[in-house]
Amino acid sequence: MIEVKNLVFSYGKDKEVLHSLDFKVEQGEIFGFLGPNGSGKSTTQKILTGILKEYKGKVKIFNQDMVNSQTSFFFQKIGVLFEFPYLYNNLSVLDNLNYFSSFYPEKQLRNPIELLEKLEFKTDFLKKPVSSYSKGMRQRASMARALISNPQLLFLDEPTSGLDPSGAVLFRKIIEEEKRKGTTVFLTTHNMVDADLLCDRVAFISNGNIVALDTPKNLKEKNSSHQVLIEYVYKGERKTEIVEADELKKNMMFAQDEIISIHSKEPTLEDMFIKYTGRRLD
Amino acid sequence: MQKSLHSLIKKDFQMMISGKFFLLALGSLLLYTLFINFGYVNFMRMPGYGIYLYVPPEESFPEQLREKVVVVQSEQEIYECLSKDTNGVGILYSESATKYILYYGSDTLDNHRIAYAQSMLEGKRFETPIVVGKNTDEMKQRKEMSCELLFIEIVAVGFLGIASILFKEKQMGVMRVYGIMPAPKALFIISKLIVFLVSDLVFAALLTLLNVKYPDATHILPRVLLQTGILSLIMVLVGMGCSLLINDFKQFSLAYLVVALFISAPVFFSANTSVQNNWILWHPFYHLYMGMKNAFFDFPSEGIAYFLLCFGGIFLLFVLVKAAFIQEFSKEG
Repeated sequence: MIEVKNLVFSYGKDKEVLHSLDFKVEQGEIFGFLGPNGSGKSTTQKILTGILKEYKGKVKIFNQDMVNSQTSFFFQKIGVLFEFPYLYNNLSVLDNLNYFSSFYPEKQLRNPIELLEKLEFKTDFLKKPVSSYSKGMRQRASMARALISNPQLLFLDEPTSGLDPSGAVLFRKIIEEEKRKGTTVFLTTHNMVDADLLCDRVAFISNGNIVALDTPKNLKEKNSSHQVLIEYVYKGERKTEIVEADELKKNMMFAQDEIISIHSKEPTLEDMFIKYTGRRLD
Repeated sequence: MQKSLHSLIKKDFQMMISGKFFLLALGSLLLYTLFINFGYVNFMRMPGYGIYLYVPPEESFPEQLREKVVVVQSEQEIYECLSKDTNGVGILYSESATKYILYYGSDTLDNHRIAYAQSMLEGKRFETPIVVGKNTDEMKQRKEMSCELLFIEIVAVGFLGIASILFKEKQMGVMRVYGIMPAPKALFIISKLIVFLVSDLVFAALLTLLNVKYPDATHILPRVLLQTGILSLIMVLVGMGCSLLINDFKQFSLAYLVVALFISAPVFFSANTSVQNNWILWHPFYHLYMGMKNAFFDFPSEGIAYFLLCFGGIFLLFVLVKAAFIQEFSKEG
């Protein structure tokens, strides 16, 4: 679906922000693109969505070189959720959706009311102007705008930003549904929980370079210390012990009356990000 | 594409309504019309000079002529009247040597005033002149002021109107969305041009009809609309370019000041006064203003070079604005 080879991009003469990026995204895959601010995430997404053009290297989407494919036909097949909810504040969500959907062929459009219902949008606000919406409702309206055209390729930038925990769960469910339908998702985020739960593969980008690219599971396993943390009670006292995972095969080598919990000492995706990039994601 | 353009035009109209643009235009139209019909035309209607006559008791003066002047009872009263009406002329009548009293204006003007006072004194009637045209003073004033106000409305108010819409769209971020919409990018500019053009043409038609009035208004209207269309397209494109290149509305206000000072002021100064500045011929808006003025006064039409330059300029501005528009998509949120 997306094929990027030796992608280089500079703002001006000497300000190279992307240094020879290489990656592929398969159809129906959720691909996470993670990096701190200024790492080159947004620039990459702008190249993939056809906004930035003067790049070097090869970018193929829908099996077509981006240089030749930036036609209305290309834009009909993509959907973009921007980092901020870009909507007309003076119009209602329905007017916004009707307006933006008028640029797409009618046969590929979804029913806006059904889509908003799916996104659990409060029905009382359907005809009220966007300026009266909460942050979460604006994000729902924005997601509806990105999905209204039934895109084959979905670019999501911080999709769960501004949502409460239940909203974030709902959005993850919707993104997974899109994947099941065969939609390819290019997800840009700071949120490691989203990346870990949703992405088939993630790429860590730092200073314009991809420093790691694999499934979240592989990245964590490769760097795992293979240890477990055991919490237990012995003679009425609560204690913890870190043991090698292999030792679990043997009998417990320490005295205990009751085991309370066993936690894997597997690193989190964030630990991996820090290990590869040397930076945090905030 | 037609469907997309229709949606864009509809949305731009909604933006103009919510930005109270039409209300502002209607208010301006009302204000200008009231000003021209009840203010300007009356202010500019020159009344005859007040003539204050004192006939000493020993002098005789034909009774029937006293009706045309203000007869006062003493010489002192003449001075009092003139101190209130400095344009007036006092007459100290004497069969042998009448004296005229006035506040000095200029030699030429004072001669006019004395000649007028003499004509009142002698009961003279001027000959009926041969009328060579119907551009009465009032009609001339109506056309002149309508032309100036229309020019100001489009140059300044239209320029602000497009800026207010674009700054709103920039602020809401929706311009970034245009970057990924499946429609030609030029369409987003064309829709705004259409909306402002229609609005300016309606404004121009109403202003002309209400102030120049039938039948002169209908006669000059096609040429006035053509000049309005040219000026409207240029100003909307200039306004769009400035709004896209300038980051905030405060900086834009400065650009607005520049427009007001460097476009309107020298143009009006050169076109409406006898002061001649050769450099003004290099000022493109001088020619646009004169084009508008010629249309209002039904003077001979501009040559083909004028229209070629206008439409060439519009095309060039369109290309530049489109480049600035595409640049806007790539900016960071």
